Amino acid sequence: MKKLIILLMFFSLSLQAQIKVGDTMPTFTLLDSSDKNVSNTTFQNKFILIDFWASWCAPCRLGNRKLVQLHQTVDKNKIEIIGISLDTDKTKWIKAIAKDKIKFTQLIDPKGFDAKTAMQFGVEELPAKFLFNNKGILIAINPTEEQIINYLK
Amino acid sequence: MKDLKNIYFTIIAILFLSTLNAQISKAEIRATGLTCSMCSNAINKQLKSMPEVASVDTDLNANTFTVTLKKDNTLSPKIFKDKVEKAGFFIGVLIISIDAAAIKSTNFINVNSSTAVGSDAKIQILDKGYVTAKEHKKLLKSFKNIATYEANSEDDFHIKFVK
Repeated sequence: MKKLIILLMFFSLSLQAQIKVGDTMPTFTLLDSSDKNVSNTTFQNKFILIDFWASWCAPCRLGNRKLVQLHQTVDKNKIEIIGISLDTDKTKWIKAIAKDKIKFTQLIDPKGFDAKTAMQFGVEELPAKFLFNNKGILIAINPTEEQIINYLK
Repeated sequence: MKDLKNIYFTIIAILFLSTLNAQISKAEIRATGLTCSMCSNAINKQLKSMPEVASVDTDLNANTFTVTLKKDNTLSPKIFKDKVEKAGFFIGVLIISIDAAAIKSTNFINVNSSTAVGSDAKIQILDKGYVTAKEHKKLLKSFKNIATYEANSEDDFHIKFVK
């Protein structure tokens, strides 16, 4: 019986669909670009924008430029931008961060679409952005930079 | 009695189908489309949903999905086209690994003089929907003497051996 429950739990986890507006942010801990463990629970009372990307994803790299600009204009006490890379090759990720001049938090879940966070959020396509409000509630999926700025007003 | 007849029919049909589709061991797919095909999990998911598939590997530099199939499958190359299109993309290149000896006895038409031997011969499918639209236009011109190519029947595949 115990085994069955564990099996059922496993299935319900693997079948998790994309999170919806109104859902609470899934918790996760990942390594950042300086090999430190970072948990998303450290960022309390702030908006959080999570951006899933990968170095080999051309549209993501274009998106990075916009995010870098956004990061420069927003009030950093109000919002935390967190990039989560699904790169399996860490060196390519580090190179891409340097090349795209990214200064905001960068984490890695190096398992492609099979990565745990990709499953938690239901990421089926890159890039994918999720905006949470200061209470950790999802308020927008793939918002534009303008929409993000408007939410912060 | 009628049931028995049906069973015979089924057995014959299965035998016929299995000779029609020589066993494919591997398929290398390069997908094309309006968006970045590797940035989507859709093709991967479609391919992995097939019970005949043992594994799907992605080569991000070559934009290629390598599908390894289980033994004794009777898949036709058409299934890869169907799956990729279901995911919202198109096939740009499809190369399959197959027993060279089986090619002669099946519905493959070799349009090139080169050939190969061995159980792991690589062939590229050249029919419409298995190459880019641009490439297909070019091939129509070069194969204007091959009536079956233009006829574009779903039951035969025009192939060339690749390395």
